[in-house]
Amino acid sequence: MRLYKKEGNTVQILSYPTDNIEKGDYLLVEDANVNRKLITQVIDVQFASVPGLLEELLRDSTMEQQVYGETIDPLGVTSHINHIQDARMLLCKIRGTMLNQKPHVNSSWLPTRSKSGITKIPINILLSHAADSKELPINIGKTKDGTTLNITAHDLDGRLNIITGKKGTGKSHLSKLLVLGLVDYKATVVVLDLNGEYTGLGTSSKGGTNQYSDRVHVLTPGSNFKVSLSQMGLSVILKILVHALDLPGTSTREFKHIWKTLCQQRKISMHELGEAIKQSTCNMHVRDALFSRYYSLVNSGFFTDSEDSATSFEKLFEKTKQTGGALVINLKDISAVDRQIVLEYTLGNLVKILGQWKIKSVFLFAEEAHLYLRETYWEDIVTRMRHFGLFTNFVTNQPDTIQENIYRQADSIFLFNFTNERDLETVSKAARVDSETVKSIAQELPPHHCLLIGKAVNDFPAMVKVRALDIKTMGETRLFFENQNN
Amino acid sequence: MIEQHNYTTTPTYNLPPSPDDLQLPQPFIELSQYTMQNIQSTTMHPNTAETTQQTTAYIENTAPITTIQHPATITTTQLQPDQNLKPVVAVDVSSIRIGETQAGALCAIRGAIVWKEKNRYRYQRLGPFPFHITEENKTEIHKLFQNNHFEIGENHRTPNINNIQARIGNLLERWLQLGISCSAHDTIILWDGSMTAGMPDSPTDEMSRLLETARNRLSTVLAFSKNTTLRFDGQKLTDLANKAKPPCLIKVNNYPVCSGPVLLLGNVYVAKLSSGVCQFRLDIDKKVSHEQAVEAVQSLLGNDLIVQSYPETLRLAHIYSTFTATEVIGIQRFISKQYGLRMVTRPNVRRMLFGMFGKGAEATQ
Repeated sequence: MRLYKKEGNTVQILSYPTDNIEKGDYLLVEDANVNRKLITQVIDVQFASVPGLLEELLRDSTMEQQVYGETIDPLGVTSHINHIQDARMLLCKIRGTMLNQKPHVNSSWLPTRSKSGITKIPINILLSHAADSKELPINIGKTKDGTTLNITAHDLDGRLNIITGKKGTGKSHLSKLLVLGLVDYKATVVVLDLNGEYTGLGTSSKGGTNQYSDRVHVLTPGSNFKVSLSQMGLSVILKILVHALDLPGTSTREFKHIWKTLCQQRKISMHELGEAIKQSTCNMHVRDALFSRYYSLVNSGFFTDSEDSATSFEKLFEKTKQTGGALVINLKDISAVDRQIVLEYTLGNLVKILGQWKIKSVFLFAEEAHLYLRETYWEDIVTRMRHFGLFTNFVTNQPDTIQENIYRQADSIFLFNFTNERDLETVSKAARVDSETVKSIAQELPPHHCLLIGKAVNDFPAMVKVRALDIKTMGETRLFFENQNN
Repeated sequence: MIEQHNYTTTPTYNLPPSPDDLQLPQPFIELSQYTMQNIQSTTMHPNTAETTQQTTAYIENTAPITTIQHPATITTTQLQPDQNLKPVVAVDVSSIRIGETQAGALCAIRGAIVWKEKNRYRYQRLGPFPFHITEENKTEIHKLFQNNHFEIGENHRTPNINNIQARIGNLLERWLQLGISCSAHDTIILWDGSMTAGMPDSPTDEMSRLLETARNRLSTVLAFSKNTTLRFDGQKLTDLANKAKPPCLIKVNNYPVCSGPVLLLGNVYVAKLSSGVCQFRLDIDKKVSHEQAVEAVQSLLGNDLIVQSYPETLRLAHIYSTFTATEVIGIQRFISKQYGLRMVTRPNVRRMLFGMFGKGAEATQ
């Protein structure tokens, strides 16, 4: 391999097929004189523009229907000619320099063109040089050269991460892997599970229990997840009424008044709330508005007056504090309004608990969050809630539903295959990688392969085949024609 | 009574019975290896100038017979394609300068034989063969020519290094032509170039033997020259056919057959075989009657594709023998890897001196 050209932070390297270089590989351009190496990553493999090649191909291909024959080449020169024809130009992005076996994100240095030696470096070796800490590893899968790629739980701690890719590429699978990886290190994880995909986390692939069975708590609203009004502060119930049920301002003021009265009387329950609204002397329209919201709350089945059947997040978090655990909020088969009620409660309560330092921090995994999180929540989650210890991981197959400022603040992106240019354009707005890398590599990622970008891989984008998990798969699409031939 | 043709395979070359299994001349391969294995240099200066290839036809056209004066006359014969199936075989060889070493020049030679099989063309490419020509080994090369009768006169000096490249190419071409003459039967054999003999690369005896062998096997050799210096009555010979209606053959009668040691073994024609702007000098074996010559060209018309008056088989032979720029780089790489030569590009003196005021390539590069 030879260094050919540099333009901006892109270098072109001449190589031959025998070098066996593919997209995503890392190459070290070593300048022996200064004992320094340029770290580059191949983002595209093109054919080298060799003079006379067109003539050659025209001669060989356009006539092949009518002309055939053989070449007698006793000295074996033809193999060298073919070698030239197959020469490749590797388009590489400069990722940094390696000085004294330590990678630095610095691309201002350029090695000698005439004497540089170029070698391939496995990504796990590069990352092992780059990583500050090797504690709490989470095995993501295998790199192209078959070695295990680990990130650390620290890479997810206090960070904003996005898992995205088109349908069926393995986003949810990776998300589950990260959830269980965190649980392994006694972290508390809350999963907003839109399609009930995470409900099998505590069940092995064969249907029995697995090592996570007692640490995964599936909460189905209206079933084993009910709350009482007494658990809830005014702020949480107001968020539900205002944001989930669109209660107007005047009615909100009246509700506050009713709530305070109930608090003074220590009669906070759904039944008492209904009675209080009924007896309220407020404007008829306000009372109607309050009644309609009240019945929405009642009909959601999410509220109970029985303190025994009410779910307490505090208690659940007490449990997960010891052993770690995942609370899976199963939002499957729940109407959009009820979903919003549950979400407003969950997030409001989480912030409240975190604010009271009852737990240190929570990792939130939100699948297709645009379907249940109001827009104003995005910024709130990303900017404000981070300081309370709520670390969010968004999982989506519609990258344009996540706002641009979130991409810009994302610490790591786990990118699966996208074919659509517009989707890639959206993801490429992430600040931690150049758009060319995203567009070039993500378009050709096979299913279950992921491009890791950002802090999780110390800003050295890496391709990985996500490893399998011994859990019951719940996210499979139900097929009409399945087993029809049997 | 049908004449019994006297033909035997030439013992020197042990030629095969058909072009299909034509074997490479072993001494040629050995010579290539010998010259390359004895490279003393450690560096090689690749040829950076525009690739100048020599096809063997180039040498023949330097023949001193250049002017045909009166009382020569011309006869035009209109042609009718003869559709009776007849094989057509063409041979061409190219050589190219690959680079230089401290001791001499590096070149490569490649030959191609193309023949028409039913409606398809089949080719056999021989080579490329690299050669390292130095002052020291040029006598060895010369010896090979002598051993194979490709040398005239005892007093003929060893050619200079620059000419040897073309001479080696010619040697291979003659070998291939002889192989075809010996193996093909009742075939139209196409050569690139003329039938000029008596030049260092085309000894009269050898050339005559080539033609005789072909004749004995009922084959006819047609030699097409893309360029000719022959002039008739002051104008370029091929211009005689400018206004002729194709397909036609214009025969130049009574031209001088020899000039000093140089001898024309063929009758000179101008062939305008199809519409278009091209016409070519065509040499046909002198010992073949005019009628047979016309029949042979008519057979060619009926059995091969003719574009711009040039037979497709010969065009393909040319295409398959010439070197593309990629191939030159590939051969340079082969030499570098196989014989451990380091490539060092010499500065282009013309470009350094004249820059944009230079000629051709160096002005634009």
